[in-house]
Amino acid sequence: MIKIIFTLLSVLIFLLFPINTFAANFGLSVEPPLLKVSIRPGKSITQVFKLTNLSDDDKLFVARIVPFKDADNYGNPVIIPDAKADWISYFSLLNANIKYGEPFPIKSNSSEQLIVGLTVPETAKSEDIYATLLISTYINATDIGYQGSSVNASVASNMLITINQQEFPDTILKIEKFFPIDGTFIKIGNFYLADNITPLIFSSMVKNDGDYTADTKGVFRVTTGSDKPIYLDGILPVNIISKTTRVITSTGGDSFKFSPEMGNLGFHKISLEIKTDNSNTSNSITIILLPIKLGLGIAIVSLIIFTILKTTSKKQSFEIDTIKNK
Amino acid sequence: MRLLKSSKNVANNLIICFIFTLLGLYIFTPQNQVYADNLSSPAFKVNMGTINITGGQKSSSTFKLTDTVGQTAQGQFNSSGYTIKAGFQYIYDRIPFTFKISNLSINLGSLIAETPALGTNTLTVTTGSAYGYTVKAIEDHSLRLSDGITTIPDTACDLASPCTQTDATLWTDNTRYGFGYNIQGTDVDVADFVNANYFRPFPIQGVNQPAIVMSRANVATNSAATVTYKVNIPGGQAAGTYQNNIQYIATPAF
Repeated sequence: MIKIIFTLLSVLIFLLFPINTFAANFGLSVEPPLLKVSIRPGKSITQVFKLTNLSDDDKLFVARIVPFKDADNYGNPVIIPDAKADWISYFSLLNANIKYGEPFPIKSNSSEQLIVGLTVPETAKSEDIYATLLISTYINATDIGYQGSSVNASVASNMLITINQQEFPDTILKIEKFFPIDGTFIKIGNFYLADNITPLIFSSMVKNDGDYTADTKGVFRVTTGSDKPIYLDGILPVNIISKTTRVITSTGGDSFKFSPEMGNLGFHKISLEIKTDNSNTSNSITIILLPIKLGLGIAIVSLIIFTILKTTSKKQSFEIDTIKNK
Repeated sequence: MRLLKSSKNVANNLIICFIFTLLGLYIFTPQNQVYADNLSSPAFKVNMGTINITGGQKSSSTFKLTDTVGQTAQGQFNSSGYTIKAGFQYIYDRIPFTFKISNLSINLGSLIAETPALGTNTLTVTTGSAYGYTVKAIEDHSLRLSDGITTIPDTACDLASPCTQTDATLWTDNTRYGFGYNIQGTDVDVADFVNANYFRPFPIQGVNQPAIVMSRANVATNSAATVTYKVNIPGGQAAGTYQNNIQYIATPAF
């Protein structure tokens, strides 16, 4: 009897007072996501990075500086978490209570400032150094207590550092690819024949063959055969690190697009011009705009009208002949 | 006969009309002109601005340009020996880069032979002022017991179409064992993760490079994707608690 009462009581307690369980989540924001510095050897700077813990609970984080050398065509660094570089020692954390590689707490929905110091020795060679400030969740337990995977998260902020006596040391930008990828066109030799009412979309890629980062300030310009500009779009200013290639886009982040108007006929020059603080480059293609679609449309309509007229006239002449014969 | 002749005349007239229409269009259609020489020079001369002061887009139907004003004082590099630019030119407010994961504990429960166990969590990214991002994934090792020897190997998916760390394929055969993941949602390579039955094994830290699981070459606001973790064991799998750690690295583009 006592056993039954105890069981019923347990069930009642379980139903009335359920235990709240929360799956641990993660949320972290970093600001700024990019730091670009030009610095002379022998100089020092500091930069504050603001971290906000957006998780439902307090968390321990670890900060590390990870070097990188390479990036994909969209400006995403290729990070190798255990990569090493001699110049890592140029960086330091100036917070009194936070050290690189050691856990530090941030309360839920609170922020912490990381004060990153960069001290470039007098003897440092002139070069670009690229690093990521990687903030990771701290996991210490070897046994996570269940069967499955524990998840660890890292959030990065990129640092592009130019060490040189000049603010903008020269670099070499080359427009590697610039051609239409969508629209109604055909390529004949060095020219493109394109329809004058169909938008043309262009693919463009720039390579930085130099030793220093450059950005992609400039314009996408369409001019007539008499060199009169008829369309202009800005280039989204993004960074191209040394020895990498990057897709460049319009200010809206899309591929460059030129929508010709009905009156745009004949030779047109479409050019991409990049003029930055440390490099200039340009590339252009010639397009002959013709009323291909309009012409085809009118030709088809004319053909239909002509056929109708021909058929009608045959019918009528047959009828006339029949009347005459009668 | 006369009618046939007149229809030929109509056709000729149509062709003549067509030619004249084209000529007319070319001559009389006003051509929009923008004076790029005047516009381009300010765009080129504005040195990359310190963000947060002022800036914006200037546009009409025939041109679109962007600039920022409020550059770090000219000559600062000469006097102080450095310039610092935090943020991006094309976003006029400094907005943080944010990464969220809905669940850090993927509990796969008790495993039953040839009955796949699943777990999920959701990754969410907001690029803020960055123009693009990637989220990469890597595991410390295969699921393994605390002895460090006995493992559930990473999946190779169905025999007919083996998967790799960068190429997801079908994994529906319950006699194919291992551990792998599928991802569905925004900014996921849908050509690779065609549907929820396509899986990949995680790359292993120290051996492989992290694999891209989400990416976008543009601004992202709350881009979310759900990762499904799947494990399937054979009958002879040693009993015990199999564990590993999976790391996600969210990186803004520069």
